[in-house]
Amino acid sequence: MLELKSITRRFGSFALDDLSFKVNRGEYFILLGRSGSGKSLTLELIAGIRKPEKGQVILNGTDITLLKMQKRKTGLVFQDFALFPHLTVYDNIAYPLKMKRTLKQDIYKMIDKIAAEVNIKHLLERKPDSLSGGEKQRVAVARTLVTSPDIILLDEPMASIDTPLRDDIRRLLRRINDGGMTILHVTHDYREAIRLADRVGVIHNGRIIQVGKPDEVFANPVNRFVARFAGIRNFFKVKIDVKDSENIATGRNDFRFLLPPGDYPQDAIIMIHSDKITLSQEPLKAKYNSAWGEITEINRSEFGYEAFINADEIFYVTFSEQLLNDLSLETGKMIGLSFNPDALKVI
Amino acid sequence: MNFKSPFHWVLMILSSLVLLFVLAPLVGMVLHTSVGDLFETVKDQEVQDSIWLTLSVAFITTLFFAVGAVPLAWVMARHQFPGKRIVQGLIDLPIVLPHSAAGIAMLGFISRDGFLGKVASSVGLNLVGNPGGIALAMAFVSLSFMINSARDGFAAVPERLEKAALNMGASPFKMFLTISIPLSWRSIASGFIMMFARGMSEFGAIVIVAYHPMTAPVLIYERFNQFGLSYARPVSVIFILAALAVFVLLRMISVGRRSERSSLVKSDSNNA
Repeated sequence: MLELKSITRRFGSFALDDLSFKVNRGEYFILLGRSGSGKSLTLELIAGIRKPEKGQVILNGTDITLLKMQKRKTGLVFQDFALFPHLTVYDNIAYPLKMKRTLKQDIYKMIDKIAAEVNIKHLLERKPDSLSGGEKQRVAVARTLVTSPDIILLDEPMASIDTPLRDDIRRLLRRINDGGMTILHVTHDYREAIRLADRVGVIHNGRIIQVGKPDEVFANPVNRFVARFAGIRNFFKVKIDVKDSENIATGRNDFRFLLPPGDYPQDAIIMIHSDKITLSQEPLKAKYNSAWGEITEINRSEFGYEAFINADEIFYVTFSEQLLNDLSLETGKMIGLSFNPDALKVI
Repeated sequence: MNFKSPFHWVLMILSSLVLLFVLAPLVGMVLHTSVGDLFETVKDQEVQDSIWLTLSVAFITTLFFAVGAVPLAWVMARHQFPGKRIVQGLIDLPIVLPHSAAGIAMLGFISRDGFLGKVASSVGLNLVGNPGGIALAMAFVSLSFMINSARDGFAAVPERLEKAALNMGASPFKMFLTISIPLSWRSIASGFIMMFARGMSEFGAIVIVAYHPMTAPVLIYERFNQFGLSYARPVSVIFILAALAVFVLLRMISVGRRSERSSLVKSDSNNA
């Protein structure tokens, strides 16, 4: 469907470097990366706003690398929507159709249909200036959909929308994708990838460093950078030794981790998901994978609470409100923590 | 404004002095002109002809040159190219030139020995002493205002709107007509008015290129030279009134577009 082959493009001090990935027909592909990682630039190269120095952009088997942007069947939805402020919503959506010299009555029918689909029929006579972020996004999506592109390119579609409206837009995008439209969506928010993507590609410093289904990517991050995206904050720099056929990793202040069986390098970084750590009132006597430490900070988090525990290493733990009450957790309290060797991942 | 502070009193007094400086000579001129003289002058065919000539030639010149000036303004706003600063300097040059010198340069260009003069005379046209020559002299001294104002307008249009239009299948020309121009309409209109005003009030360059047919500024000068201040005054007052009427009209036409412009600025600040 869409394939980028060894795309290279310098842009000031930044460069896309040998960037390659594929998006399959009908797929919802999310390109995940920090700001400045090259995500938006990648979309601009696909849309033809910029041209690569090397490499190819293939769409439906045709090389479109050097094709003029107005000839490409790529529908780009800009991060800030780029609605034309001097035109009504109707005229905004009609714009690409007028450019293709579509008949007036056909334009009317097409807009009527698309406006019903994305639920903006009541906005057609308004000017973009009077719309909310979510409404603007719907109009921008409608304006792109109406051209029947081969692929929709979304640049941070949630960034300019208030949080309560994001669910709405997510459902809309999901529905459009379920209707068979291929979507390439770039974002810095891994939660969008988890909620929307069929597959996710992680882009860092102009390169794709991991591609796969979201659960696979976040369960097995190839490096610390990808792991950070999954909200994993427990990283420990360790030295790994084999003692009595057990893999023992030693971290800061001589903290000992017992790893699952396997071959590991001597110097490594290990990580553990914050929800895989168990808390207990009493100190545990275990030699490995347990600690006794002080709660230095407790905050509300998206799905409950989070705390930092100083126990030789600093552990980041997430837990429910019930556990907070049951264990009377509060800042300054000493608490025991433990985890299973299987929860540890060496990256 | 808080008038308790001495600073604000100073501000008010200085501002009033400046405004008074502009207003006083104009009011003085009107007060020194009797209604009878005004009526007499209005009926003067020579005065009517000169004012009509001035306004119509200035308007047509501005309209004609806008066709080239507006695209040039867009290029200056959107593109980087070697020698851009030199081009910008060239655009600004007529503003700093003494206008009599501009007139001499223009005369050389359009006289029968000059390049444009030769071209014109090959079709039987003598630009010197002709409304065509007046138009060229007006354009020479006023074009910078149009280009610079339109350039600022184009620069204020977010580039991504133009990119979005191209992405939706618009050709660059269609994009220019449907997005760039409507969104910078107010600056273009304001440049138009500035160029028209500058051209209309030009004296120095025109008097060298075409003493006849007389534009209003030349006629005012001639009346002053031949008959003195009291004969030049009524012509001046009538010319100013006619010019004011045209300005008000042009402003009213362009003001209808103001709301669109302000919505552009608002949407841009939202996006920032």
